[in-house]
Amino acid sequence: MATSPDLENRPATYDNDPTKTIVETRNLGKVYRDFWGRKKVQALKSLDLEVRRGEIFGLLGPNGSGKSTTIKLMLGLLFPTQGRVFVFGKEATDVSKNERIGYLPEESYLYKFLNAEETLDFYGRLFDIPADVRRQRIENLIKMVKLEHARKRQLKEYSKGMTRRIGLAQALINEPEFLVLDEPTTGLDPLGTRDMKDLILRLRDEGKTILMCSHQLADVQDVCDRVAILHQGELKELGRVDSLLKIQDLTEIHASGLTDDAKRQIREIIEKTGGKVDRMDNPTTTMEDLFLEIVKESEQRPGRRGGRGGN
Amino acid sequence: MRLNPDHFWTYGEWLFQHNALRDGAILSVVLALLGFVIGYIVSVFKHGPSEGFLRVSQIIGQLFTVDLPKMSFRRIYAVAKLAVKESIRKKILVLIAIFIVAMMFAGWYLDPDADSPARLYIVFVLTATNYLVILLGLFISCFSIPADIKNRTIYTITTKPVRPLELFLGRVLGFTAIGTFVLATMGLLSYVFVVRGLDHDHQAASLDPTGRAGETSFDSRHRHTFTLNSEGRGTTNEAKGHRHIVTKVGDKVVVGGPIDDLTARIPIYAKGLSFTGRDGEKNEGYNVGYMSEYQKYIEGDSLSRAVWRFEGVDNSLFKDVILYDLTISAFRTYKGDIVTPVGGLIHFRSSDGRVKSEDEPFKVKEFQVDRRSVRTKLKGFIDDKPADLDFFKDIAADGSFEVVIRCQDRGQYLGMAAADIYLRPADLQFWWNFVKGYISIWLQMFIVICFGVMFSTFLSGPVAVIATVAALVLGFFGFFVDNLVNTTSKGGGPIESLIRLPTQMGSQIDMELGNETLQKAITFVDRGILLAVSQLKNAVPNFSQLDTANFVAYGYNLFGGLLARHLTIAFGYFVLTALVSYFFLKTREMAA
Repeated sequence: MATSPDLENRPATYDNDPTKTIVETRNLGKVYRDFWGRKKVQALKSLDLEVRRGEIFGLLGPNGSGKSTTIKLMLGLLFPTQGRVFVFGKEATDVSKNERIGYLPEESYLYKFLNAEETLDFYGRLFDIPADVRRQRIENLIKMVKLEHARKRQLKEYSKGMTRRIGLAQALINEPEFLVLDEPTTGLDPLGTRDMKDLILRLRDEGKTILMCSHQLADVQDVCDRVAILHQGELKELGRVDSLLKIQDLTEIHASGLTDDAKRQIREIIEKTGGKVDRMDNPTTTMEDLFLEIVKESEQRPGRRGGRGGN
Repeated sequence: MRLNPDHFWTYGEWLFQHNALRDGAILSVVLALLGFVIGYIVSVFKHGPSEGFLRVSQIIGQLFTVDLPKMSFRRIYAVAKLAVKESIRKKILVLIAIFIVAMMFAGWYLDPDADSPARLYIVFVLTATNYLVILLGLFISCFSIPADIKNRTIYTITTKPVRPLELFLGRVLGFTAIGTFVLATMGLLSYVFVVRGLDHDHQAASLDPTGRAGETSFDSRHRHTFTLNSEGRGTTNEAKGHRHIVTKVGDKVVVGGPIDDLTARIPIYAKGLSFTGRDGEKNEGYNVGYMSEYQKYIEGDSLSRAVWRFEGVDNSLFKDVILYDLTISAFRTYKGDIVTPVGGLIHFRSSDGRVKSEDEPFKVKEFQVDRRSVRTKLKGFIDDKPADLDFFKDIAADGSFEVVIRCQDRGQYLGMAAADIYLRPADLQFWWNFVKGYISIWLQMFIVICFGVMFSTFLSGPVAVIATVAALVLGFFGFFVDNLVNTTSKGGGPIESLIRLPTQMGSQIDMELGNETLQKAITFVDRGILLAVSQLKNAVPNFSQLDTANFVAYGYNLFGGLLARHLTIAFGYFVLTALVSYFFLKTREMAA
């Protein structure tokens, strides 16, 4: 008798510690083919990564790097041509996993002829949420995303920022454990962006796990605990944001109350022996610099890049 | 309208005696096997033989273990409600306005001189509604899922715990709900249109000196004659498919509104019809040639008889009079007195033939229903001795009896089929029969929606429309396909026709290509194509069979058994399309 691959290949980490891993990809690959089955493009190559409970995980990469493909594979919108992806220990194609997932797609693909309340009610019903609970959640979410004034307006009248906010609200209607946010800050003004980032951090503090992909590198730097950087369908970097941003071969000294002469002397002393230093640490670069450097390097030398971030 | 023997089958007879259940089961098994094999072949290409088998088995297994048990009515309702809103947004309800406009102008074009305006009106409204609603079903169902995929709104649905069957059921129910609303509105408007359009009044224009007969005024392009009984009551003759009740109140004659034009006769049909030839021996009835394959004929002034056998006729259905209708026809071998219809004789007799009523002469009323009656107290013969009879005590003591008709005129023939005589214990309310006619239209719309949604799960909108239209065409014109396949059509199959057309090779001559092998190959491939189309036709519903407009138009009660059969067929296609959709939605990459 055949054994279900779902049980056979269930990720060990999930079985051993169900609180640890939310998403696990194993050798995940995706090839897009044309109508005749001919290979068009390899969108993703042998991706291995984990998203852990309670963290904000960022997926970074230029256009066409495989970020969206990875997310779609995790959500079961695409099927892998190689490897496997598990969400909550279940195959990504298992519909029941969706009960614990909230998804904000890139462009808030919502029904424009519905208003905010109808939208949330519709998605609430899809989660089989009873009417009274649904009503309460709709009320709370509309307040949370500050759309009280526009709750009865059809979404086609919404600005892009408002559409993102109602999109986020629909992603939260089921109070998910795991949130997938595709470009959450796109179209938001600086204030809206700040609010969104605060909200993401708050959700993380509430115990939710968040996977986000974004082009706004500053946003990723601000909120993500760990990131994976993809380029041309390959994982180029994976690790904690703070570790990844450290420049290992430089030393940064923070000192105060020093005259120019003193500074010179300190430099001399450091060069020779030692002295009093107020603070000595690794300086950080920006996420943007790191990202651009990785892309540049990847184009010059294809293949996996030597990691330096701690997992 | 001609009723065929299969129209009279009860639901049970159709299901068990005529093997509908067996055929349905065989079709289901064949389609299930076919689906599994095709699914497996596709899966083998993607995943290899063993993994492919496992995946196809998993999908089938999940249907019964997960996807069916975990279906949620709330989710189905949500998807259905969305489908309704989407349809309203697409201004589907404008269709009702178009229908109203069509009816406003229809009065100009419906022939007021028609023999039966009621039939014309009813056929018009039912046909117009039928086509409009089928088109509605076609367009709303085919574009919805492809539009969701194109706009990517499907991402926000399939990333929720929505199961493939819920998506299918929600769409089908939503579109059916909006279609039902449109259909109900059209039905109501149609009913008002028919009833008001046919309503008219006459005045008594003249009364003969006896005061018992007269003529009505000429209104709505016709007039009637009428006769009154000693109590001053009577009816007019039948004109334009209706009569009026005439009552004498004092010196004044009052003509009531039209009756008998909007009826729904509940007929009791005979269980069988047998014939005897001119020599008195049993035969199959005479065939007068291509003129009518439906009816068989008896010869005039001979021992030729037509005998209908009735069973289970309950005396509680009738009081003093047994009403029955005759719709037999005449075939003249010589012109004779063309003004006088061909005559016949009719009598009723017990099953054993010992008791029979007196012969009653009649004249054939061709192309119309001859409404007749026989009293339950009547004169006749017991063992050839004259006697006063009670119909239900003497002739139909056990509920069974026979009706015998013979033709009086030498050299002329009377034609009849099993359905050409029926008893009329009561009439159904016309409005209810009208509703049943609309239920038939609803079933057609429902099947179209099921097919449209099914095709849209794996085809783009326009292609899904074409596929559904192809199914509709095959469904409506399946008999044409049967003719093509089962008879040797002149001009050959599609390839041969394609050669004949540009080369202007007439269909009367054999195809000459100068290469016998090529010719044989073309004939072989043509035959294969036609057979494939024929098999395809068998897999789509027979829409012409589901069309019951004529029952309503010709004033026959739409039998419950027939409607139940149509409901069963519709349900069968619903299950079939649901399973196909499940398979495609389950295996389709929504973001590909």
